[in-house]
Amino acid sequence: MGLFKKVRLLFHDDLCPSCMKSMEERGRQLYMLPMMVGHYDSHASALYYKKNLIKVYRKADIPTGQYACGIIAYKCLDCGFRKVKVSVFLPVRDQEKYEDVFYFENGELDDFLEF
Amino acid sequence: MENKKIKKVNMLYLLGYIFVPIIVCAVCFLASYLWFPEGNMAVILLMGPSFLSILWWACGGSFLFKSKRKKFERELDESGFARNQTFYGRGSMISVDINNGKIALLFFWNPFESYVVEAKRVTKAWVDDGRHGKGFMEGSSQVSFLFTIDEIKVRIYTFTSNQRFRMDTDYILTGISKADMMVKVLESARSNSK
Repeated sequence: MGLFKKVRLLFHDDLCPSCMKSMEERGRQLYMLPMMVGHYDSHASALYYKKNLIKVYRKADIPTGQYACGIIAYKCLDCGFRKVKVSVFLPVRDQEKYEDVFYFENGELDDFLEF
Repeated sequence: MENKKIKKVNMLYLLGYIFVPIIVCAVCFLASYLWFPEGNMAVILLMGPSFLSILWWACGGSFLFKSKRKKFERELDESGFARNQTFYGRGSMISVDINNGKIALLFFWNPFESYVVEAKRVTKAWVDDGRHGKGFMEGSSQVSFLFTIDEIKVRIYTFTSNQRFRMDTDYILTGISKADMMVKVLESARSNSK
């Protein structure tokens, strides 16, 4: 992969790494992560998220000082490549303090997501 | 311990903390000047108190406060106080039993007295994000939450720095989040307080 492609991929989550086309967004969902501010511990394992995430519908449903997790699932319509983006952040009033972003490309979260 | 009037600073301790080492040093220096102008004893009288004073000012207070804090936490656990949320601020410690509506407090400048008060005595709780400056200079160097108990204002810092940070930096956002959370906890405890 060329340097230009790599840079493009860095800035566009929805680009398919194999055919470089925009992927379709299969769905997105907000979750609450039961971890308090000041006690964040990074986890790269999909199993951790499957066990601990609690589905919420609005950011206002997340108690103050609790971490949130935004999940977006993508699928390439051309080659079938699937990717799930997991963003862990702390909602603070009207802002978000991002801690980690993980990508799962091998269907690790497929049985957990409802889309 | 329970339902006493809150005293954030014990003046005797504060003055002793500052002046006792100075007085001890002065007495030792005078003794050295009058009776031991040279020799090993002079070295001990001149160096010993100075070294111990610096050690006391640098670590003594924190050491004493931490040991009192641990003892207080043990006492709270033994008394059945559920420490649902504990926050260690700079110079103070607060622990909240949300379900029973009680607040435990310990202050750096009054480490010999610990307080457990009914949360209904908290009349107001709010967050101070320390925002100051205008335009591109706008920012903060401290975030804290405050509450009043019996008209006494208690401020507990969740973030302090000698630099000013923009309001959207991680440090400030974390400080605000902690302060917001503590205010919510205090309000929940107050609503559960009998």
